[in-house]
Amino acid sequence: MSDRTMGERAAGQGLSFLGRVPGVAFVLVALFAIFATLSPGFTTVPNLSNILVQSSILLLLALPMTLIIMTEGLDLSIGAVLTLASVVLATVALSTGSLSIAVLAAVAVGSAMGLLNGWIIAWPGIPPFVATLGTLSIAQGLCLLLTDGQSVVGLPDELHTVYAGYLLGLPIPIIIGAVAYALMHLLLYHTRLGTYVPALGGNREALRHAGVNDRLVLTVIYGIGGLMAGIAALLLTSRMSSAHPTAGIGMEFDAIAAVAVGGTQFERGEGWLLGTLLGVITIGVLRNGLNLLGMPSSIQVVCVGLLVILALFLDGMRRVEE
Amino acid sequence: MKKLFLLMSTLCVAGLAHGPALADGETIAVFTKNQTNPFFETVRVGAAAGAKSVNAKVIQYIPIKPDSIPEQMSQVEDAIVRKPDAILFTPVDYKALVPGINKMTAAKIPVIGMTDRPAGGDIISFVGVDDYRLGLETSQNLFKAMGGKGNVIALEGVKGTLTSTDRMRGFTDALKQFPDVKLLASQPANYQRLQALQVMENLMQTHPQIAGVFAANDAMATGVVEALAGANRKALVVGINGSKEAVDLIKEGKMHASGSSDPFMQGCLGVLVTVRALRKMPVPKELMVTPVIIDSTNWRDHDIPVEKRSCPKLDEVAAK
Amino acid sequence: MSQAEATVPRRSLALSNDVLSVFYRLLAVGIICVVLSFISDAFLTTNNLLNVLRQASLVFFMASGLTLVILTGKIDLSIGATVGLSACVAATVIKATDSAMLGALVGIGVGAIVGLGNGLLVTKLRIPSFIATYGMLWVVHGITYYYMSGQSVYGFPAEFRAIGSGYFLGIPIPIYLMILFLLAGNFFTKRTTYGQQIYAIGANTVAARLSGIPVNSRLNLVFILSGAMAGLASLIYLARLNSAEGDIGETLTLPTIAAVVIGGTSLFGGVGSLFGTFIGGLILTLILNGMNLLGVSANWQPLITGLIVLLAVWLDMKTRSKTDASS
Repeated sequence: MSDRTMGERAAGQGLSFLGRVPGVAFVLVALFAIFATLSPGFTTVPNLSNILVQSSILLLLALPMTLIIMTEGLDLSIGAVLTLASVVLATVALSTGSLSIAVLAAVAVGSAMGLLNGWIIAWPGIPPFVATLGTLSIAQGLCLLLTDGQSVVGLPDELHTVYAGYLLGLPIPIIIGAVAYALMHLLLYHTRLGTYVPALGGNREALRHAGVNDRLVLTVIYGIGGLMAGIAALLLTSRMSSAHPTAGIGMEFDAIAAVAVGGTQFERGEGWLLGTLLGVITIGVLRNGLNLLGMPSSIQVVCVGLLVILALFLDGMRRVEE
Repeated sequence: MKKLFLLMSTLCVAGLAHGPALADGETIAVFTKNQTNPFFETVRVGAAAGAKSVNAKVIQYIPIKPDSIPEQMSQVEDAIVRKPDAILFTPVDYKALVPGINKMTAAKIPVIGMTDRPAGGDIISFVGVDDYRLGLETSQNLFKAMGGKGNVIALEGVKGTLTSTDRMRGFTDALKQFPDVKLLASQPANYQRLQALQVMENLMQTHPQIAGVFAANDAMATGVVEALAGANRKALVVGINGSKEAVDLIKEGKMHASGSSDPFMQGCLGVLVTVRALRKMPVPKELMVTPVIIDSTNWRDHDIPVEKRSCPKLDEVAAK
Repeated sequence: MSQAEATVPRRSLALSNDVLSVFYRLLAVGIICVVLSFISDAFLTTNNLLNVLRQASLVFFMASGLTLVILTGKIDLSIGATVGLSACVAATVIKATDSAMLGALVGIGVGAIVGLGNGLLVTKLRIPSFIATYGMLWVVHGITYYYMSGQSVYGFPAEFRAIGSGYFLGIPIPIYLMILFLLAGNFFTKRTTYGQQIYAIGANTVAARLSGIPVNSRLNLVFILSGAMAGLASLIYLARLNSAEGDIGETLTLPTIAAVVIGGTSLFGGVGSLFGTFIGGLILTLILNGMNLLGVSANWQPLITGLIVLLAVWLDMKTRSKTDASS
């Protein structure tokens, strides 16, 4: 509610209330109805919680990606940074035996890579796509050099409880996801930094004239992306009880797709955090439902593509109507 | 044809003999690594054939991104919701999927390992092949054909995979038995044909004399064969898997040998062992397919289309 | 009339930048070659240089179509998947009919159809090209997997394989094809109205539309060309590898984008050249070749690629801001 009005004001758009419901919401409802009818196991509590848990890692990447895309940017490196942070987490945990130091190291490495992205995008002005394509390769290379392509195993048992454990009766990944969402919501809609985000995409000159250090803000936003990738690395590593140098490859595209499916525009600085949440869940529901129905894998692959195209098509239709 | 008929009728008889006494119609979830590598397609065909022979059902789970750890992990979680009677599991990574196995056993679903032996977790049985022996015997075959001397090149699979590590260990040990065989270079080509082709093209520039090439799978071996043909050079090439393509190349004399891990049989036996476990019949802790080195002397025995192959009987499995 | 006003000045600016950036890139290629020839005896031999060019040709065919798309300011993430589908369909056609020509036409046709699909998603449904082609990537992969059902198709007639592994006058045939397409592509982009319009759309889509350029039909055209070039690339791969599997193009998309970027084409559109892309592909191939010759662990490859991408773009920005300041 409030986020929508804030988003509108920030983007300077006077769109009608209903017009902002992204196409993905309809797709999600439709998918939910279909799977609930066809597959008895789908609507059980364990399965729905299963979908949310599975979506948590992608959500942690997609949330900051929303902000980044709102600045008319892009972070192709986030999957590789996630992997690098995971490898660092495991390596440090092995050598120090301390999980908290390991998590700090992972978050630090993630943030550092994010800030590096922001710095080369903001100061020399390298286009985000190319800059993060470069850092993607670099992070991937560091993963390989750190591990020589091998999995890192033998991590302390308590690590596994992060992904598999419960707190107050809720799975921990869902709690982490919810907290991350709440924090990003606060950041985007209730802080001064948040108001700069759409302006960075829509009207950077005006921001600069208003005396805002736009480059610093941009760097911080990419830094947040790296930071979240570092936290996601905790979930990823915990999920596998190990780190693997290819585990997060390609997740940047999943995250970008989730953001786009959620109705965030690639131009004009328009974005909607709740849409991203819906996008992430829709992708999770689709994969889970198709699996429960026993669909052949090749059909599942086509469906993911069609989902992306369909959601954006619906959005496009609504825009044309306006 | 006659032989096949005989076999089918014996299977039918066997089915009749046991049919009424046994529960059937079990659902088995079969996990493989990707839908692009013909090796796993053959495993899946074998699993389906095995299931058909004992009146069980299989559901195939294949990650939508090839070899993706998170995708397979999600599929494990989804499969648990569907509660199959048992899971026949090939992990995309033998270490990273151990928590997945623990989840399945925690949900009281019996797990049988296949092809890649998981590094941990409670599995009832493992069906696969000894990749070390496969690497060792295939390399020995190559070195013997080279007359026990000359230069070799090795192409490794994906780093960190169990199959590549074990096969390369076998290769290295075989190398020690042949002191006059010299290793020029050992480079990864990630089990991929194109990478193998280009790595080989580049290596041929620095090494004018290459007598033999060991590739850790057949896709890379065929890439090497193409690279050699492109440069008009000759070397003995061996690969691993015993794929149909490799058998055809051996038939044509373009490839020397391929160590067969018989994916069809792995799929078959995997399902049969699973069914035995479900029907409370004794199962071996592990069941290894015997590696066979296919070369010019015996390729005819292996030049059989998959759909014409047949699984052993349920009763024979324990003894095998 | 107004169209000429909008395009011509931009084009001349792009050209002067191109000349400079291509010069720097040739210099880089020269330096890499000198260094490699000092460390490895095997590098500076006719055989190895032909080998490098032949490998670079594989990158070039995919990258050239992509360059056209990027020149308009769009992107095509589906090219790797398209290579896979084209290769698999062409392979089965060749096996079934024994006609290399028919297979080649079908392969290029399949690529063009995927390209048209991309174009329509972008122009008719107004989906950003990044997302449209990413969705298409999944659709095409899925169709390929379904079509191949885990099998491989192999063993093609010799006359077909010649386009990938044959020689003419001692030089591999793919190199001739590459030179042919490089010259034709260069002519197309620099000397025809279509080419100028592509640059104009990339430089400023709104201005291009206002000046009467049929933007949507040109965008459709570049996506179709990109798809068709991916189809052509798939044929070269097919002929070179003598085999098709569902995953044939899977890992090729990002390196291809890297080649275009290293070649100096700007992702904002309007700036760049096919010749630059050729050099970009050549640089990536040389690095790989050098690493293989020197026996450097393949683990270093992504790191080095990433650094080169950043360095190339950063140098471009330096030279561009310098020329902008001086003009």
